Amino acid sequence: MERRDCRKQIVCILAKNIRAAVQDGAAPGEQLQEIRIRSGQPLRAIFDGREKILPGIGKPHIVTKEEVRETMDYISHYSLYAFSNEMKQGFLTIEGGHRVGVAGKVIVEQGKIKNIRYVSSVNIRVSHEVTGCADRVIPYISKDGCICHTLIISPPGCGKTTMIRDLIRQISDGNQYVKGCSVGVVDERSELGGCYMGVPQNQLGERTDILDCCPKAEGMNMLIRSMSPAVIAVDEIGTYEDIRSVEYAMMCGCKLIASVHGLDMDEASRKPVLGDLIRKRLFERYVVMGGERPGTIRGIYDERGSVLCRG
Amino acid sequence: MQRLIGGVLILASTCGAGYMYCQELKSYLGKLRYLRYIFSLIRGEINYSCVPLPEVLSQVAERVKDPYGKWLSETAYSAKGRADSGFARIWNKCTEQYLKPLRLREEHSILIKEAGTFLGCLEKDTLDHTLQMYLNRMDLEIEKQREGLASKTRIGSCLGVMSGLFLIVLLL
Repeated sequence: MERRDCRKQIVCILAKNIRAAVQDGAAPGEQLQEIRIRSGQPLRAIFDGREKILPGIGKPHIVTKEEVRETMDYISHYSLYAFSNEMKQGFLTIEGGHRVGVAGKVIVEQGKIKNIRYVSSVNIRVSHEVTGCADRVIPYISKDGCICHTLIISPPGCGKTTMIRDLIRQISDGNQYVKGCSVGVVDERSELGGCYMGVPQNQLGERTDILDCCPKAEGMNMLIRSMSPAVIAVDEIGTYEDIRSVEYAMMCGCKLIASVHGLDMDEASRKPVLGDLIRKRLFERYVVMGGERPGTIRGIYDERGSVLCRG
Repeated sequence: MQRLIGGVLILASTCGAGYMYCQELKSYLGKLRYLRYIFSLIRGEINYSCVPLPEVLSQVAERVKDPYGKWLSETAYSAKGRADSGFARIWNKCTEQYLKPLRLREEHSILIKEAGTFLGCLEKDTLDHTLQMYLNRMDLEIEKQREGLASKTRIGSCLGVMSGLFLIVLLL
Protein backbone atom coordinates (compact mmCIF):
# COMPACT_ATOMS: atom_id res chain seq x y z
CA MET A 1 0.00 0.00 0.00
CA GLU A 2 1.23 3.44 -0.82
CA ARG A 3 2.15 5.36 2.30
CA ARG A 4 1.57 9.06 1.95
CA ASP A 5 3.25 11.85 3.76
CA CYS A 6 1.58 11.90 7.19
CA ARG A 7 2.29 15.54 7.89
CA LYS A 8 0.75 16.55 4.57
CA GLN A 9 -2.40 14.57 5.37
CA ILE A 10 -2.66 16.23 8.77
CA VAL A 11 -1.86 19.75 7.61
CA CYS A 12 -4.59 19.77 4.97
CA ILE A 13 -7.32 19.23 7.61
CA LEU A 14 -6.26 22.18 9.73
CA ALA A 15 -7.76 25.66 9.61
CA LYS A 16 -5.57 27.95 7.53
CA ASN A 17 -4.08 29.88 10.51
CA ILE A 18 -3.41 26.70 12.46
CA ARG A 19 -1.85 25.17 9.38
CA ALA A 20 0.63 28.04 9.20
CA ALA A 21 1.40 27.78 12.93
CA VAL A 22 2.08 24.03 12.68
CA GLN A 23 4.29 24.48 9.65
CA ASP A 24 6.23 27.31 11.31
CA GLY A 25 6.51 25.51 14.63
CA ALA A 26 7.99 22.28 13.30
CA ALA A 27 11.73 21.99 13.01
CA PRO A 28 12.99 20.12 9.93
CA GLY A 29 12.97 16.36 10.40
CA GLU A 30 10.82 16.45 13.54
CA GLN A 31 8.09 13.85 13.64
CA LEU A 32 4.62 15.16 14.37
CA GLN A 33 2.73 12.93 16.80
CA GLU A 34 -0.21 14.92 18.07
CA ILE A 35 -1.93 18.29 17.72
CA ARG A 36 -4.23 19.64 20.41
CA ILE A 37 -6.63 22.36 19.36
CA ARG A 38 -8.67 23.88 22.19
CA SER A 39 -10.90 26.87 21.68
CA GLY A 40 -9.48 29.92 23.47
CA GLN A 41 -6.25 28.12 24.43
CA PRO A 42 -2.76 28.08 22.93
CA LEU A 43 -2.21 25.63 20.11
CA ARG A 44 -0.10 22.69 21.23
CA ALA A 45 1.61 19.92 19.31
CA ILE A 46 3.79 16.99 20.22
CA PHE A 47 6.87 16.45 18.09
CA ASP A 48 9.11 13.46 18.86
CA GLY A 49 7.52 13.04 22.29
CA ARG A 50 7.99 16.70 23.31
CA GLU A 51 5.11 19.13 23.67
CA LYS A 52 5.44 22.53 22.02
CA ILE A 53 3.24 25.61 22.18
CA LEU A 54 3.03 26.72 18.59
CA PRO A 55 3.76 30.34 17.74
CA GLY A 56 1.42 32.90 16.20
CA ILE A 57 2.55 36.40 15.34
CA GLY A 58 4.99 37.29 18.11
CA LYS A 59 3.18 35.24 20.77
CA PRO A 60 1.57 31.79 21.11
CA HIS A 61 -1.22 31.12 18.67
CA ILE A 62 -4.54 31.21 20.51
CA VAL A 63 -7.14 29.02 18.85
CA THR A 64 -10.45 30.70 18.02
CA LYS A 65 -13.91 29.13 17.83
CA GLU A 66 -13.92 29.84 14.10
CA GLU A 67 -10.69 27.92 13.62
CA VAL A 68 -12.12 24.92 15.45
CA ARG A 69 -15.22 25.09 13.23
CA GLU A 70 -13.11 25.43 10.09
CA THR A 71 -10.96 22.47 11.15
CA MET A 72 -14.07 20.36 11.78
CA ASP A 73 -15.37 21.35 8.34
CA TYR A 74 -12.15 20.20 6.71
CA ILE A 75 -11.98 17.02 8.78
CA SER A 76 -15.50 16.01 7.81
CA HIS A 77 -15.27 17.28 4.21
CA TYR A 78 -18.04 19.74 5.14
CA SER A 79 -20.25 16.76 6.00
CA LEU A 80 -20.65 16.32 9.74
CA TYR A 81 -23.87 14.35 9.15
CA ALA A 82 -21.80 11.56 7.59
CA PHE A 83 -19.76 11.13 10.76
CA SER A 84 -22.50 11.23 13.39
CA ASN A 85 -21.94 7.58 14.38
CA GLU A 86 -18.25 8.22 14.91
CA MET A 87 -18.97 11.50 16.70
CA LYS A 88 -21.10 9.57 19.17
CA GLN A 89 -18.00 7.65 20.15
CA GLY A 90 -16.01 10.87 20.41
CA PHE A 91 -13.61 10.30 17.56
CA LEU A 92 -13.41 9.99 13.83
CA THR A 93 -10.81 8.52 11.54
CA ILE A 94 -9.48 10.50 8.63
CA GLU A 95 -7.61 9.57 5.49
CA GLY A 96 -4.31 8.01 6.51
CA GLY A 97 -5.86 6.31 9.53
CA HIS A 98 -5.20 9.29 11.79
CA ARG A 99 -7.47 9.56 14.79
CA VAL A 100 -9.33 12.79 15.55
CA GLY A 101 -10.82 12.98 19.04
CA VAL A 102 -13.44 15.63 19.70
CA ALA A 103 -14.99 17.16 22.80
CA GLY A 104 -17.75 19.70 23.19
CA LYS A 105 -21.40 19.81 24.10
CA VAL A 106 -22.77 16.29 24.17
CA ILE A 107 -26.37 15.85 23.03
CA VAL A 108 -28.11 13.11 24.96
CA GLU A 109 -31.45 11.61 23.98
CA GLN A 110 -33.19 9.06 26.18
CA GLY A 111 -30.02 8.49 28.13
CA LYS A 112 -27.93 7.77 25.06
CA ILE A 113 -25.35 10.00 23.40
CA LYS A 114 -26.78 11.27 20.14
CA ASN A 115 -24.09 13.62 18.91
CA ILE A 116 -21.52 16.22 19.87
CA ARG A 117 -22.27 19.83 18.96
CA TYR A 118 -20.27 22.97 19.59
CA VAL A 119 -16.97 21.15 19.31
CA SER A 120 -14.48 23.01 21.50
CA SER A 121 -11.50 20.65 21.53
CA VAL A 122 -9.94 18.61 18.78
CA ASN A 123 -7.10 16.18 19.35
CA ILE A 124 -5.40 14.89 16.22
CA ARG A 125 -3.23 11.84 16.74
CA VAL A 126 -0.97 10.84 13.90
CA SER A 127 -1.31 7.18 13.04
CA HIS A 128 1.91 5.24 13.27
CA GLU A 129 2.64 1.67 12.35
CA VAL A 130 5.64 -0.25 13.57
CA THR A 131 6.19 -2.64 10.71
CA GLY A 132 8.04 -5.69 11.91
CA CYS A 133 7.25 -5.29 15.63
CA ALA A 134 5.74 -8.81 15.60
CA ASP A 135 8.86 -10.42 14.14
CA ARG A 136 9.92 -11.69 17.58
CA VAL A 137 6.50 -13.13 18.34
CA ILE A 138 5.62 -14.94 15.13
CA PRO A 139 8.00 -17.93 15.57
CA TYR A 140 6.46 -18.72 18.98
CA ILE A 141 2.81 -18.44 17.99
CA SER A 142 3.04 -20.54 14.82
CA LYS A 143 3.17 -24.29 14.47
CA ASP A 144 3.72 -26.22 11.21
CA GLY A 145 3.06 -23.14 9.10
CA CYS A 146 -0.21 -22.39 10.90
CA ILE A 147 -0.97 -19.79 13.51
CA CYS A 148 -2.08 -20.81 17.03
CA HIS A 149 -5.04 -19.37 18.96
CA THR A 150 -3.28 -16.43 20.58
CA LEU A 151 -4.23 -14.01 23.31
CA ILE A 152 -2.22 -10.82 23.74
CA ILE A 153 -2.37 -9.53 27.31
CA SER A 154 -1.22 -6.00 27.95
CA PRO A 155 -2.00 -2.91 30.03
CA PRO A 156 -3.29 0.10 28.04
CA GLY A 157 -0.67 1.99 26.06
CA CYS A 158 1.85 -0.82 25.83
CA GLY A 159 1.50 -1.45 22.11
CA LYS A 160 -0.90 -4.36 21.84
CA THR A 161 -2.88 -2.79 18.98
CA THR A 162 0.32 -2.08 17.07
CA MET A 163 1.44 -5.64 17.73
CA ILE A 164 -1.85 -7.20 16.60
CA ARG A 165 -1.81 -5.02 13.47
CA ASP A 166 1.63 -6.26 12.49
CA LEU A 167 0.64 -9.85 13.27
CA ILE A 168 -2.35 -9.50 10.94
CA ARG A 169 -0.11 -8.15 8.18
CA GLN A 170 2.45 -10.95 8.53
CA ILE A 171 -0.15 -13.74 8.75
CA SER A 172 -2.03 -12.35 5.77
CA ASP A 173 1.04 -11.93 3.58
CA GLY A 174 2.77 -15.06 4.87
CA ASN A 175 6.41 -15.51 5.80
CA GLN A 176 8.88 -18.27 6.67
CA TYR A 177 6.90 -19.23 9.79
CA VAL A 178 3.35 -19.02 8.60
CA LYS A 179 1.68 -19.66 5.26
CA GLY A 180 -0.22 -16.62 3.98
CA CYS A 181 -3.94 -17.08 4.61
CA SER A 182 -7.15 -15.06 4.67
CA VAL A 183 -7.53 -12.99 7.81
CA GLY A 184 -10.82 -11.50 8.95
CA VAL A 185 -10.53 -8.43 11.12
CA VAL A 186 -13.33 -6.98 13.23
CA ASP A 187 -12.25 -3.42 13.86
CA GLU A 188 -14.85 -1.94 16.19
CA ARG A 189 -13.01 1.32 16.83
CA SER A 190 -11.14 1.63 13.52
CA GLU A 191 -7.88 1.22 15.39
CA LEU A 192 -6.43 -1.72 13.53
CA GLY A 193 -7.11 -0.73 9.95
CA GLY A 194 -7.60 3.00 10.45
CA CYS A 195 -10.23 2.71 7.72
CA TYR A 196 -11.27 5.78 5.82
CA MET A 197 -14.49 5.23 3.88
CA GLY A 198 -14.12 1.47 4.27
CA VAL A 199 -10.57 1.30 2.96
CA PRO A 200 -7.84 0.36 5.47
CA GLN A 201 -5.17 3.01 5.65
CA ASN A 202 -2.77 0.81 7.60
CA GLN A 203 -0.98 -2.15 6.10
CA LEU A 204 -3.03 -5.20 7.02
CA GLY A 205 -1.79 -7.55 4.32
CA GLU A 206 -3.11 -8.69 1.00
CA ARG A 207 -5.46 -11.41 2.24
CA THR A 208 -7.23 -9.36 4.88
CA ASP A 209 -10.94 -8.60 4.99
CA ILE A 210 -12.00 -5.95 7.43
CA LEU A 211 -15.31 -5.10 9.06
CA ASP A 212 -14.88 -1.51 10.09
CA CYS A 213 -16.83 0.04 13.00
CA CYS A 214 -18.60 -3.28 13.56
CA PRO A 215 -19.37 -4.62 17.05
CA LYS A 216 -16.95 -7.47 17.74
CA ALA A 217 -19.45 -10.20 18.64
CA GLU A 218 -21.67 -9.68 15.57
CA GLY A 219 -18.64 -9.05 13.36
CA MET A 220 -16.97 -12.36 14.16
CA ASN A 221 -20.17 -14.27 13.35
CA MET A 222 -20.62 -12.29 10.13
CA LEU A 223 -17.06 -13.01 9.02
CA ILE A 224 -17.36 -16.73 9.70
CA ARG A 225 -20.57 -16.90 7.65
CA SER A 226 -19.55 -14.64 4.81
CA MET A 227 -15.78 -14.57 4.31
CA SER A 228 -14.59 -17.97 5.58
CA PRO A 229 -11.42 -16.62 7.15
CA ALA A 230 -8.63 -18.91 8.31
CA VAL A 231 -7.74 -16.46 11.07
CA ILE A 232 -9.89 -13.92 12.87
CA ALA A 233 -8.32 -10.97 14.65
CA VAL A 234 -10.02 -8.73 17.21
CA ASP A 235 -8.69 -6.09 19.53
CA GLU A 236 -9.66 -5.58 23.17
CA ILE A 237 -12.21 -8.27 23.86
CA GLY A 238 -14.06 -7.60 27.09
CA THR A 239 -17.79 -8.17 27.17
CA TYR A 240 -19.56 -11.48 27.70
CA GLU A 241 -20.80 -11.45 24.11
CA ASP A 242 -17.28 -10.83 22.75
CA ILE A 243 -15.86 -13.78 24.63
CA ARG A 244 -18.73 -16.11 23.70
CA SER A 245 -18.17 -15.16 20.04
CA VAL A 246 -14.44 -15.79 20.42
CA GLU A 247 -15.23 -19.28 21.74
CA TYR A 248 -17.70 -19.87 18.90
CA ALA A 249 -15.11 -18.77 16.32
CA MET A 250 -12.56 -21.15 17.81
CA MET A 251 -15.06 -23.99 17.45
CA CYS A 252 -15.65 -23.12 13.80
CA GLY A 253 -12.18 -24.04 12.64
CA CYS A 254 -10.85 -20.49 12.60
CA LYS A 255 -7.69 -19.54 14.40
CA LEU A 256 -8.12 -16.59 16.67
CA ILE A 257 -5.90 -13.69 17.60
CA ALA A 258 -7.29 -11.43 20.27
CA SER A 259 -6.06 -8.94 22.79
CA VAL A 260 -7.23 -8.09 26.26
CA HIS A 261 -6.31 -5.56 28.92
CA GLY A 262 -4.40 -7.07 31.79
CA LEU A 263 -1.08 -7.15 33.60
CA ASP A 264 -0.28 -10.83 33.25
CA MET A 265 -1.78 -14.27 32.73
CA ASP A 266 -3.01 -14.51 36.33
CA GLU A 267 -4.95 -11.32 36.02
CA ALA A 268 -6.41 -12.39 32.67
CA SER A 269 -7.46 -15.77 34.07
CA ARG A 270 -9.30 -14.03 36.93
CA LYS A 271 -11.57 -12.24 34.46
CA PRO A 272 -15.12 -13.65 34.72
CA VAL A 273 -15.75 -15.23 31.31
CA LEU A 274 -12.33 -15.04 29.72
CA GLY A 275 -10.96 -16.99 32.68
CA ASP A 276 -13.10 -20.00 31.65
CA LEU A 277 -11.55 -20.02 28.17
CA ILE A 278 -8.05 -19.85 29.67
CA ARG A 279 -8.81 -22.68 32.10
CA LYS A 280 -10.28 -24.74 29.25
CA ARG A 281 -6.92 -24.16 27.48
CA LEU A 282 -8.62 -22.92 24.36
CA PHE A 283 -5.87 -20.37 23.73
CA GLU A 284 -2.67 -22.06 22.65
CA ARG A 285 -0.37 -19.07 23.13
CA TYR A 286 -0.28 -16.03 25.40
CA VAL A 287 1.82 -12.99 24.63
CA VAL A 288 2.23 -10.76 27.71
CA MET A 289 3.31 -7.22 27.02
CA GLY A 290 4.22 -4.38 29.35
CA GLY A 291 7.11 -2.33 30.58
CA GLU A 292 8.30 1.21 30.29
CA ARG A 293 8.62 1.27 26.54
CA PRO A 294 5.66 0.47 24.31
CA GLY A 295 6.09 -2.81 22.46
CA THR A 296 8.07 -4.56 25.23
CA ILE A 297 7.29 -8.28 25.41
CA ARG A 298 7.45 -9.67 28.94
CA GLY A 299 6.85 -13.26 28.01
CA ILE A 300 5.25 -15.75 25.66
CA TYR A 301 3.49 -18.76 27.19
CA ASP A 302 1.82 -21.91 25.90
CA GLU A 303 -1.64 -23.22 26.85
CA ARG A 304 -0.35 -24.72 30.11
CA GLY A 305 1.34 -21.49 31.08
CA SER A 306 4.85 -22.79 30.42
CA VAL A 307 7.29 -20.10 29.36
CA LEU A 308 8.32 -20.24 25.72
CA CYS A 309 10.19 -16.97 25.69
CA ARG A 310 11.01 -14.31 28.23
CA GLY A 311 11.41 -10.62 27.44
CA MET B 1 -47.02 39.64 -55.42
CA GLN B 2 -43.86 40.97 -53.73
CA ARG B 3 -45.99 42.66 -51.10
CA LEU B 4 -47.82 39.44 -50.43
CA ILE B 5 -44.58 37.49 -50.06
CA GLY B 6 -43.16 40.25 -47.83
CA GLY B 7 -46.27 40.21 -45.69
CA VAL B 8 -46.18 36.45 -45.34
CA LEU B 9 -42.51 36.59 -44.38
CA ILE B 10 -43.11 39.27 -41.74
CA LEU B 11 -46.00 37.31 -40.30
CA ALA B 12 -43.95 34.12 -40.28
CA SER B 13 -41.04 35.79 -38.52
CA THR B 14 -43.14 37.46 -35.83
CA CYS B 15 -45.06 34.23 -35.26
CA GLY B 16 -41.68 32.44 -35.05
CA ALA B 17 -40.49 34.97 -32.47
CA GLY B 18 -43.65 34.38 -30.46
CA TYR B 19 -43.16 30.62 -30.72
CA MET B 20 -39.51 30.95 -29.62
CA TYR B 21 -40.60 32.99 -26.61
CA CYS B 22 -43.06 30.25 -25.63
CA GLN B 23 -40.39 27.57 -26.09
CA GLU B 24 -37.98 29.53 -23.93
CA LEU B 25 -40.57 29.72 -21.16
CA LYS B 26 -41.12 25.97 -21.39
CA SER B 27 -37.42 25.25 -21.40
CA TYR B 28 -36.92 27.49 -18.34
CA LEU B 29 -39.56 25.48 -16.53
CA GLY B 30 -37.75 22.33 -17.63
CA LYS B 31 -34.50 23.65 -16.11
CA LEU B 32 -36.19 24.32 -12.78
CA ARG B 33 -37.71 20.86 -12.83
CA TYR B 34 -34.33 19.32 -13.59
CA LEU B 35 -32.72 21.25 -10.71
CA ARG B 36 -35.46 19.98 -8.43
CA TYR B 37 -34.75 16.46 -9.66
CA ILE B 38 -31.04 16.95 -8.85
CA PHE B 39 -31.82 18.07 -5.31
CA SER B 40 -34.09 15.09 -4.81
CA LEU B 41 -31.21 12.85 -5.97
CA ILE B 42 -28.87 14.57 -3.51
CA ARG B 43 -31.37 14.05 -0.71
CA GLY B 44 -31.83 10.39 -1.62
CA GLU B 45 -28.09 9.79 -1.83
CA ILE B 46 -27.46 11.42 1.57
CA ASN B 47 -30.22 9.37 3.16
CA TYR B 48 -29.23 6.11 1.54
CA SER B 49 -25.45 6.12 1.64
CA CYS B 50 -24.75 8.78 4.29
CA VAL B 51 -21.36 9.48 2.73
CA PRO B 52 -19.66 12.90 2.76
CA LEU B 53 -20.86 15.59 0.37
CA PRO B 54 -18.04 15.31 -2.21
CA GLU B 55 -18.95 11.66 -2.67
CA VAL B 56 -22.69 12.42 -2.83
CA LEU B 57 -22.18 15.16 -5.43
CA SER B 58 -19.84 13.01 -7.54
CA GLN B 59 -22.34 10.18 -7.58
CA VAL B 60 -25.22 12.46 -8.55
CA ALA B 61 -23.01 14.19 -11.15
CA GLU B 62 -22.62 10.87 -12.96
CA ARG B 63 -26.39 10.55 -13.30
CA VAL B 64 -27.22 13.99 -14.66
CA LYS B 65 -26.54 15.77 -17.92
CA ASP B 66 -24.22 18.73 -18.48
CA PRO B 67 -23.92 21.52 -17.45
CA TYR B 68 -25.47 20.17 -14.22
CA GLY B 69 -23.08 17.22 -14.11
CA LYS B 70 -20.08 19.47 -14.59
CA TRP B 71 -21.40 21.84 -11.90
CA LEU B 72 -21.77 19.04 -9.37
CA SER B 73 -18.51 17.30 -10.19
CA GLU B 74 -16.56 20.55 -9.94
CA THR B 75 -18.24 21.36 -6.62
CA ALA B 76 -17.36 17.86 -5.39
CA TYR B 77 -13.78 18.31 -6.56
CA SER B 78 -13.42 21.65 -4.77
CA ALA B 79 -15.00 20.29 -1.59
CA LYS B 80 -12.72 17.26 -1.66
CA GLY B 81 -9.71 19.50 -2.04
CA ARG B 82 -11.01 21.68 0.84
CA ALA B 83 -10.76 24.68 -1.46
CA ASP B 84 -12.44 27.16 0.87
CA SER B 85 -13.17 27.65 4.53
CA GLY B 86 -16.88 26.98 4.17
CA PHE B 87 -18.97 24.80 1.89
CA ALA B 88 -21.34 27.69 1.16
CA ARG B 89 -18.54 29.62 -0.54
CA ILE B 90 -17.52 26.67 -2.69
CA TRP B 91 -21.16 26.07 -3.64
CA ASN B 92 -21.69 29.75 -4.51
CA LYS B 93 -18.58 29.97 -6.64
CA CYS B 94 -19.35 26.79 -8.56
CA THR B 95 -23.02 27.73 -9.02
CA GLU B 96 -22.05 31.11 -10.45
CA GLN B 97 -19.43 29.61 -12.69
CA TYR B 98 -21.05 26.46 -14.00
CA LEU B 99 -24.75 27.31 -14.01
CA LYS B 100 -24.19 30.56 -15.87
CA PRO B 101 -25.28 29.07 -19.23
CA LEU B 102 -28.73 28.34 -17.73
CA ARG B 103 -29.32 32.10 -17.37
CA LEU B 104 -31.41 31.64 -14.26
CA ARG B 105 -33.38 34.57 -12.95
CA GLU B 106 -31.98 36.37 -9.92
CA GLU B 107 -34.53 34.88 -7.51
CA HIS B 108 -33.89 31.34 -8.75
CA SER B 109 -30.14 31.81 -8.70
CA ILE B 110 -30.42 32.90 -5.04
CA LEU B 111 -32.64 29.90 -4.32
CA ILE B 112 -30.02 27.50 -5.73
CA LYS B 113 -27.18 29.21 -3.87
CA GLU B 114 -29.15 29.02 -0.64
CA ALA B 115 -28.75 25.24 -0.63
CA GLY B 116 -25.04 25.70 0.09
CA THR B 117 -25.81 27.29 3.45
CA PHE B 118 -27.36 24.15 4.93
CA LEU B 119 -25.90 21.26 2.93
CA GLY B 120 -23.28 19.61 5.06
CA CYS B 121 -23.50 21.64 8.21
CA LEU B 122 -26.56 19.99 9.73
CA GLU B 123 -26.94 16.59 11.33
CA LYS B 124 -28.63 13.90 9.28
CA ASP B 125 -32.27 14.17 10.38
CA THR B 126 -32.29 17.94 10.36
CA LEU B 127 -30.60 17.99 6.97
CA ASP B 128 -33.24 15.63 5.62
CA HIS B 129 -36.08 17.83 6.89
CA THR B 130 -34.39 20.96 5.58
CA LEU B 131 -33.88 19.38 2.19
CA GLN B 132 -37.53 18.33 2.14
CA MET B 133 -38.59 21.90 2.91
CA TYR B 134 -36.22 23.15 0.25
CA LEU B 135 -37.75 20.76 -2.30
CA ASN B 136 -41.21 22.03 -1.30
CA ARG B 137 -40.05 25.58 -1.99
CA MET B 138 -38.74 24.51 -5.37
CA ASP B 139 -42.07 22.84 -6.07
CA LEU B 140 -43.78 26.13 -5.26
CA GLU B 141 -41.48 28.02 -7.63
CA ILE B 142 -42.11 25.46 -10.36
CA GLU B 143 -45.84 25.68 -9.75
CA LYS B 144 -45.71 29.47 -10.02
CA GLN B 145 -43.84 29.19 -13.31
CA ARG B 146 -46.21 26.54 -14.59
CA GLU B 147 -49.30 28.56 -13.69
CA GLY B 148 -48.05 31.59 -15.59
CA LEU B 149 -46.88 29.48 -18.49
CA ALA B 150 -50.26 28.85 -20.17
CA SER B 151 -51.32 32.48 -20.20
CA LYS B 152 -47.85 33.66 -21.21
CA THR B 153 -47.76 31.14 -24.05
CA ARG B 154 -51.12 32.36 -25.29
CA ILE B 155 -50.04 35.97 -25.02
CA GLY B 156 -46.75 35.15 -26.76
CA SER B 157 -48.47 33.49 -29.74
CA CYS B 158 -51.13 36.22 -30.00
CA LEU B 159 -48.53 38.96 -29.79
CA GLY B 160 -46.53 37.22 -32.48
CA VAL B 161 -49.49 37.19 -34.88
CA MET B 162 -50.72 40.65 -33.87
CA SER B 163 -47.35 42.34 -34.16
CA GLY B 164 -46.89 40.68 -37.54
CA LEU B 165 -50.23 42.00 -38.79
CA PHE B 166 -49.47 45.39 -37.31
CA LEU B 167 -46.14 45.55 -39.11
CA ILE B 168 -47.74 44.47 -42.40
CA VAL B 169 -50.36 47.19 -42.10
CA LEU B 170 -47.67 49.71 -41.18
CA LEU B 171 -45.45 48.79 -44.10
CA LEU B 172 -48.27 48.61 -46.64
